[in-house]
Parts: sequence; structure tokens; C-alpha cells
Amino acid sequence: MKTLSLRNLGKTYFDPYAGAHVTAVHDVSLDVELGEFISVVGPSGCGKTTILNMIAGFIPYSKGDILLDGKPVHGPGPERGVVFQSFALFPWKTVLDNVGFGPKMRGVPKAERDRIAREYLALAGLSHAAHRYPNELSGGMQQRVGVVRALANNPDVLLMDEPFASVDAQTRMTLQEELTRIWQERKPTVIFITHDVPEAVFLANRVVVLSKGRVLDEIAVDLPRPRVWDDLVKDDHFKQLSARVLQMVRAA
Amino acid sequence: MQVTGSLKGRSSRLIRSVNSLAGAAMFVAPLLALVAIWAIVVPLFNVNPRVFPSVGAVGAAAMESIRDGTLFSHVGASLLRVGLGTLIGIATAVPLGIAMGVSPTVAALLTPLFRFFSVLAGIAWIPIATLWFGYGFGAIVFVIFNAVFFVVAYNTLLGVRTIPHTLRNAAASLGAGRWALLTEVLLPGALPNIVTGIRTGLGFAWRGLIAAEMIATNVGLGYMLFVARDFYRTEVIVFGMIVIGVLWLLIDRLLLVPLERATIERWGLVRRA
Repeated sequence: MKTLSLRNLGKTYFDPYAGAHVTAVHDVSLDVELGEFISVVGPSGCGKTTILNMIAGFIPYSKGDILLDGKPVHGPGPERGVVFQSFALFPWKTVLDNVGFGPKMRGVPKAERDRIAREYLALAGLSHAAHRYPNELSGGMQQRVGVVRALANNPDVLLMDEPFASVDAQTRMTLQEELTRIWQERKPTVIFITHDVPEAVFLANRVVVLSKGRVLDEIAVDLPRPRVWDDLVKDDHFKQLSARVLQMVRAA
Repeated sequence: MQVTGSLKGRSSRLIRSVNSLAGAAMFVAPLLALVAIWAIVVPLFNVNPRVFPSVGAVGAAAMESIRDGTLFSHVGASLLRVGLGTLIGIATAVPLGIAMGVSPTVAALLTPLFRFFSVLAGIAWIPIATLWFGYGFGAIVFVIFNAVFFVVAYNTLLGVRTIPHTLRNAAASLGAGRWALLTEVLLPGALPNIVTGIRTGLGFAWRGLIAAEMIATNVGLGYMLFVARDFYRTEVIVFGMIVIGVLWLLIDRLLLVPLERATIERWGLVRRA
């Protein structure tokens, strides 16, 4: 069952510095199944963040279609949750109120949205931080809040834009393991943008490689779950898959 | 554990209150030193009271104005004008500043006007304000409003512009509409700058108030200073100046600083900015 379809999607914009029109995304078609975890990789400038911003509705697209359950997408909306590289937590809200923000926008009463927020905080092991402010948390904890804030709104698709790029390497591995665990529990549909090939393979059911605004190739990742780094670093199949993706990205 | 924990809490609270007492003493000591020098120098050089009053004369003037109630009517009149002018200023400046922050067109149209009028803000408006509103309450409130308005509007604009765009995107992707964007993101996000604007604007307004009251009224602290001059009553003038200074310190320390602490510092926005 398809959730999200990109049909011949393209983005051209005027670059005032170059003084010319630039095509960031040429022609991208992609179908995402319900409950699928897709990683999108590619070198800088391949258009992956532009695609994510178009799906999120932050920027308009120039050609083609974005269909969510068959209906065209225009502008941001709560059915497409976003996790930002810069976390984008509201500094003036406690962790609890950040996570409860989506339900609040739906008009869920205070007691009920606190209950929802606490449930999701427990999922990410953050119950103790409910009444802290974001600036009191480490980067890794802030992004855990960012992930469950998006999940607590029950989106049809979760869009993640290099969410773990700005945390340290150890924390990143922990966050990746937690994300696969949460994905197995909740089975949200995820589009995960990254330039980190092992990360893309570790997380996804399918890795899409982009090059110069086009889909270069796709690879299915049939690694068993739950996935943990201690096992996968020694796993030959994981190494082969990563090597293949890396080869494609470097050739892109 | 329980006992030591609570003892520890109590002793740290004690340390904090001792610290804040020490801070207050450090703040008051130089002022007291100034009064001490004053108390020594004036009798020592036998200064003419028409030039500068003695500490005792100022004390007597203070007692007199408290006993006959004139101090309270002057202070009351001044605070009412400042309060009302500031409230009207904030209530109009914040929406305008947000509109400018959100819409580049509105900002482009209004920025030249703001540049021009912020130079003129406050006391330059006293003459024309007295023509419009007559001598008294209306003219002074207008001058206060004017002094607060431009500073708060400009700081609100800056505040909205410093909100990272991803925060607006985050709110929109969580289902926030225009109203929620305003109340949940733009207003709290701009609040640090709004509070700074209010603090600066109130400082301008307080100075503007004294100037306006010297010209355009028959009650208030500025008027109290100005009339005393006609009778060579330097002790009333100096007492009035002390009241003006002390009142400002009280407004700043008891109203504005706690407001900043309660919001901005807690959110860690001061460090970020």
C-alpha cells in the first residue's frame, strides 16, 4: 500500500548569487509503502534536502506531483512530521510541552496531551527530563525530544533531515539503535536523509541513491532486525551492502 | 540522606540570601559614601543653600513633603503618566513590530519612517503635543508613548527576525496555524528583545517625563523640581532628583530585571544572543 508518491518531481529556482536559474531536482519518482523506512543518500548538492523540504511543504515544487494517499501536497501539515538537523525545539517550552505541541495544535486537552507526551518521552527514555528546558539538555537528548515530538503527532510520514549529523559519533550510534527500536515498535513510515552511508544502510529497508537531482539507483536492505552495531560491524552482508552503496555514491 | 539533603538545601538558600544581601550592600555603599562626602563638604565650606542644600535641609524637605502629602501626589501623577504611556506604547508597538518582522513589504515601507522618527522620539514632541492635547495629562502621556513606541517596535522587529526559520517550519509541520504561530512562536521568540526594548524605552520615557512635566503641567516630579527653582529651594530640587533616581532604580530592579530573569535567562536565550 502506497503512502507517499513522488511523480517526476522537479525544482528549479533563481539563484541571485549565480544570477541564473538552477535546477536542484531534475526528475525524481519514488513510491513509499506504508510502514517503510527509506534512507536517501547522495553527495552534497544532489538535491536530497530540497526533496525533503518539498515533501514537508516548506518550499514549493516546480514540476511533477507529491501525493500523500493519492492527494496532492501543498504547504506544511501535521500529517508529515519533520525532524530537523538543528533539532528546532522551542527554547521557551519545557520538554513535555515541546512533545505535547502537536496534540495541542489538534485541540487535545492539557491532561490528555501531557499523558501522550509522557508516553512518548518514556519511549525515548526521557521521562526524567519532562520539566527541563531544551537548553539544559545535551545535543543527543535534544534530538531524542525532536524525534518523539514528531512521533507524538502521529504523522503518516516522518521526514528526517540528517537528524544525527550534529551529535558526536558515540551518541549518534546510540540514537541510530534507538531509532530502529522505536521504528520496530511503532512502524512509522520514514524518509531519512543522510550523507552517511553506513547510517543509511543500518536504518533502512531500502536505500535510494541520488545524483545531480535524479534517482541513480535503489538497494533493498534485507538485514534482520533488531539491528545493533555490535553485531553489524562484524556482519559481512552489512559490509557488502554498505560497500555497494558507497561505490554508487562516490561514482555519483 | 533525606536530612542532609534538606540541610544542604537550607544552607545553600542561606548562602544565596547572604550573597544577595552582600550584593545589595555593595550597591548601596558608594551611594552612602556620596551622602557622607556631601554631609562633610557642605558645612565645611559653608556652601550657600541657594547653591546647594545641606543633608539636613533635604531631609527636612522630604519630611515636609511626606507630611503634607505633596510628595505622593507628585509621585502618583508621574507614575500614572509613565504607566499609561508605556502600556499604550507596548500595546501598539508589539503588533506593529511583529507585522514588520513577518512581512518584508511592511518592513521596507516603514523602516525609513522609523529611522527618521526614532531620532525625534520623546521630548522633541513636547511643543506640538501641548498644541494637540493642551497643557497637562494628555500631552505628557503622548510624549511617554512616543518615547516607548519606537524603541519597542524596533526591538520587536529585531526579535522576530532573530527567530530561526526552522522554528516556524517546525510549528507549521506540527499543525500550527497563523494564530498559533503568533502566540506560540513569534511572541515568545521575540520576547527577549521586547523586554530589552521596554527596558530601554522606559529609561527614555522616564527622562522624557521629567522634561515634559517641567513644561506642560502643574503636578508631577518634574514640575516639583521646576517650581522649587523659582523659590531658590535647592533642598526641594535635590530631594526631587533623589526621588527620581530612586524610583527608577526600584522600577528597574523590582519590575524589569525580575521579568528578564523569569523568562529569558531560564530559556537560555541570553547566552544564545
